[in-house]
Amino acid sequence: MAISSLIGKIGRVTGQVAPGITGEVTLSVRGGSEAFFAHPYDGQEVILKGIQVLVVESAEPRTVYVTAFTGY
Amino acid sequence: MNAAISQLAKIPVFAYPVIGVVAIIIVLILLFKAMWRVAEPNEALIISGLSKKGTVKDSTGDEMGFRIVTGKGTLVLPGVQAVRRLSLDLHQADLVVDCVTAQGIPVHVQGTVIYKIGDDPTSITNAARRFLDQQDKMDQRVHNVFAGHLRSIVGSMTVEDMIRDREQLTTKTRDASGTEMVKLGLVVDSLQIQEIDDPTGYIANLAKPHTAAVQSAARIAQADADREATQREQEANALKAEAERDSAIKQAGFQAERDRAQQEAAQAGPLAEAQARQAVVEQETRAAELEAGREQQRLVASVIRPAEAKRDADIAAAEATSRVAELTAQGNAKRITLAAEAEAAATRLTGQAEADATEAKGKAEGAAIEARGLAEAAAIKARAEALATNPEAVAMQQLAENWADIVGQAASAFAHVDNFTVLNGAEGVNGALMQVASTGMAGFELLRGMFMPKAVAAAAPTPAPDAATAGADTTGGTDGH
Repeated sequence: MAISSLIGKIGRVTGQVAPGITGEVTLSVRGGSEAFFAHPYDGQEVILKGIQVLVVESAEPRTVYVTAFTGY
Repeated sequence: MNAAISQLAKIPVFAYPVIGVVAIIIVLILLFKAMWRVAEPNEALIISGLSKKGTVKDSTGDEMGFRIVTGKGTLVLPGVQAVRRLSLDLHQADLVVDCVTAQGIPVHVQGTVIYKIGDDPTSITNAARRFLDQQDKMDQRVHNVFAGHLRSIVGSMTVEDMIRDREQLTTKTRDASGTEMVKLGLVVDSLQIQEIDDPTGYIANLAKPHTAAVQSAARIAQADADREATQREQEANALKAEAERDSAIKQAGFQAERDRAQQEAAQAGPLAEAQARQAVVEQETRAAELEAGREQQRLVASVIRPAEAKRDADIAAAEATSRVAELTAQGNAKRITLAAEAEAAATRLTGQAEADATEAKGKAEGAAIEARGLAEAAAIKARAEALATNPEAVAMQQLAENWADIVGQAASAFAHVDNFTVLNGAEGVNGALMQVASTGMAGFELLRGMFMPKAVAAAAPTPAPDAATAGADTTGGTDGH
């Protein structure tokens, strides 16, 4: 199971995602949910707790780059 | 043993191949059982050794040469493959760190970090290569690593933030430890600061203003409540007292009415009696008045009228008498006036006659005195002449003329004596009188002695006129008597 499978997943911010700090998002993987370190994909976005995010890019082993998800 | 052999002996020959197959199956099952390994949900099997497929590969296709099996079973070839279990359970490391906050306040922090091996193959791989033989020592390792992280986390925060701002704490935990823990294949689920012990009393002092404010508010509230309660209580008491007062007043009023009614009832008998007696007395009074009126009428008829008649008669009589007396008095007065006038005329005439007589008598006396004076002058002149010739004879004559007066003067000494006590009786009285008389004689002798030398010594005529004047005076005085 490659981590690239995280890309495209939709998760929830559990720790504020902002440039310069390490945010946290919870994603559903492997039948459960896990917390991943998160950074804004564009390097500038500030995403508050509770907002849904889309995983745009991932980095080994537990880091994802996200952007706010506003709906399909 | 013998029994088993004997039992085998009993088995028919045709059954031997069946038994052999069964035995082989049993052996195969046991073998499979020995080679088949199952990974439970909280563990991962790390299989190394002979492996054709399923080994961990990275994105470039490099492989680590071992397999990771989670959540399912796999066949392990004994001897050519090694299988190890890696627990994916939660781990806990207790941390005790002395450090300094962002404000420079020394604190003693007790914390707990809860972590586990990451569920993804990368984390399991990392962890397997670090801790597979040291799973017991994992907590110690993590403790050592995380103590430093906690120190830096506390050092970048204030005490207030540590107490209040959990979000900041977890963010900083991720910042500080994320990368490093990932290297170890670990995931920090939670960092809790259980206790912050600050020897300087910073936290206690932090709480004091609020504590004081809360205490103050509590006391104020209690005092307010007390005051309000007391106020209400007093108001209630006042209302109670008012109600009691009103009740007492009403009761007193009712009691007074009852008393009044009772008294009136009690007085009704005596009152009626008194009224009856009053009526009787009024009637009696009326009767007495009538009787008095009758008596008055009777007296008027029997006494006053006759008295008035008598009085009128007496007045008339008195007036008549008075008139008579008046007329009599007038007559008397007239008569007396006439008599007085007559007497006055007579007196006037008598006075006139007496005056005339007195005038005539005075004139005659004057002539007589003149004549006597002239005669005395002649006599004095003659006596002076005689004195000049024989003065002792003249003096003696004068003394003789006045002797009665001299003795009288001496006797006047006894005039003021109330009780003249004489010790030797009648003889004494005579003696006393004789002494007075002899005193007169002695005075006579003394006078004679006085005059005589003068008369002898002074032949001058000067004393003669003095003696003559004195003699004239004496004579005149005597005449006056």
